[in-house]
Amino acid sequence: MPRSLLLSLLTYALLLAGIATVKGEFIALALPLVTYLIVGYLQAPEKIRLEATRHLSIERTSPNSNVDVTVTVTNRGSTLEEILLADALPAGLTVRSGFSRHLLRLAKGESFTFAYTVSGPRGGYVFDALDVKVNDHLAVSSSRIRVEAKGRLFVLPPVTRVRNIAIRPRRTRVYAGTIPARAGGAGTDFFGVRDYQPGDPPSAINWRASARYVDKLFANEFQQERVADVGIVLDGRLRTNEFARGHSLFEYSVQAAASLSDALLNQGNRVGLLIYASYLAWTFPGYGKIQRERILHALANAKTGESQVFSDLEHIPTRLFPPETQMVLVSPLSEDDFAPLTQLRAQGYEVMVVSPNPVKFELSYLSANETIQLAGRVIQMERALLLQKMGRAGIHVLDWDVTEPFDLFVKRRLGRSPVWLRAIGR
Amino acid sequence: MTIIALILSILLGTISLAIGYAQGGFAGYSLWFLLLAAIWLLTHFRKWYWFSSIALLIVILAAAFGVWNEFPTVWMLLGALGGLLGWDLSDFARRLSYAAPMDDTRGMERLHMERVGIVAALGLGLALLSVFIHVQRLAFEVAVGLVLLAALGLTRLVIGLRKY
Repeated sequence: MPRSLLLSLLTYALLLAGIATVKGEFIALALPLVTYLIVGYLQAPEKIRLEATRHLSIERTSPNSNVDVTVTVTNRGSTLEEILLADALPAGLTVRSGFSRHLLRLAKGESFTFAYTVSGPRGGYVFDALDVKVNDHLAVSSSRIRVEAKGRLFVLPPVTRVRNIAIRPRRTRVYAGTIPARAGGAGTDFFGVRDYQPGDPPSAINWRASARYVDKLFANEFQQERVADVGIVLDGRLRTNEFARGHSLFEYSVQAAASLSDALLNQGNRVGLLIYASYLAWTFPGYGKIQRERILHALANAKTGESQVFSDLEHIPTRLFPPETQMVLVSPLSEDDFAPLTQLRAQGYEVMVVSPNPVKFELSYLSANETIQLAGRVIQMERALLLQKMGRAGIHVLDWDVTEPFDLFVKRRLGRSPVWLRAIGR
Repeated sequence: MTIIALILSILLGTISLAIGYAQGGFAGYSLWFLLLAAIWLLTHFRKWYWFSSIALLIVILAAAFGVWNEFPTVWMLLGALGGLLGWDLSDFARRLSYAAPMDDTRGMERLHMERVGIVAALGLGLALLSVFIHVQRLAFEVAVGLVLLAALGLTRLVIGLRKY
């Protein structure tokens, strides 16, 4: 019940009692209450005009890093006797130091600045407004307003630097890059031998092959290296990522997708990202640093989700990806993903699956008793069979034990030896 | 500072009522007021701030009952005033609990005490004046009419002042 209402009811009850009983003492009892109410109303703020600005020390950061939030509130109206400022923190952020709530008196034209430090897990956070409660000093009248103070903070997923990811899509784009293009031309890797043509540099002549013929010269041809279209699909389905006791593999998948997209963009490829969860979040393919930012922002906002439509991978919209694109699926995989992936392969896509191993992940936090170990072995065998079947269908599967750092894993499984090493045939 | 003032206000309200009731021949009820004070303080320290509204209601009703039974009016007035102050300070303490440690709570406390003190003194003064000053030739009906007129006038005044 509002304070003023309680006091008013008591006051009127006493006045009525005085009238009914013809006793002036009841009226006397009501007088302190009446005085209190009148003084409170007289000192109620006339007009509330507050302005607020917000400054974040950094707008993009890594998970659990500290970010300083500074808010300045200026009173453009009349003097406010008692004002409670509470900065509405986006869900997920935690105040590490300082305070986001203050009680103060703010005179006309006066400003108040407060700062606090927040941190949080991966995500996109929007600061919207301050919740302000203004009272007269007796709190007889009170009003709540929201003062807009916008701000955005992106806590991006960690990107481990991965170099030289060896992919072999069927089709490449016209621009020079690092991916073998299955076509002869200028490059570093030997591709084949052809007839010498005028204009070929003498260094290209294959003397060993030419020595077999009296009237013919042969020239070495190198494999062209170009950029390619790469579509990264991040599996955000709840049933494949979330496990008992609140454990989740999704953060590892996001980290893998971020590192892969970063490496592939650094190689000059055109990369698009599809987050396949309760809905499809599509980042249109592009090149370079701007695309890297777009993908990281999309990954920052990525969440696991569940929907009947996207419960299996059948509904990956292949129209989004150009034909014969290299597709990289980051998913813990489930048994029924085999058919949709082979279908993709049949449609001409080069499919690579980076699969954080869910069995090893679950075993790492479950108690190591005999039953669990046995169950783990059975499930691990089932998974090995699934991966083997996929391998036979021409899908390149990388089984990632998440205890191993992603960059080391990629270097071991996808690393491309440097040019000088390839030149000496190693 | 607020807590000390709160304790004193609650004690003022309840002890005044206890004395008034004892003087009126209801000494058995006096202990209940002391119990009310204890419960009020206990609930405040447990942060059950909603109880202070109930306590105010009890105190005002008890004062009204005392007036009805013609117990000494001064004690009833002091009881009601103590209850009002206790209710105000309890809520003020709740609001202060939202403040950050670096906020100027001491300054706000001092200002609040000054203003509440003035309000309490003004209220008590007016109440005592109304009790002790009697206009002999004024009929009660006329007095009631004047009070109602005053209440109406005050309401209009407050509405008018809030506009400007």
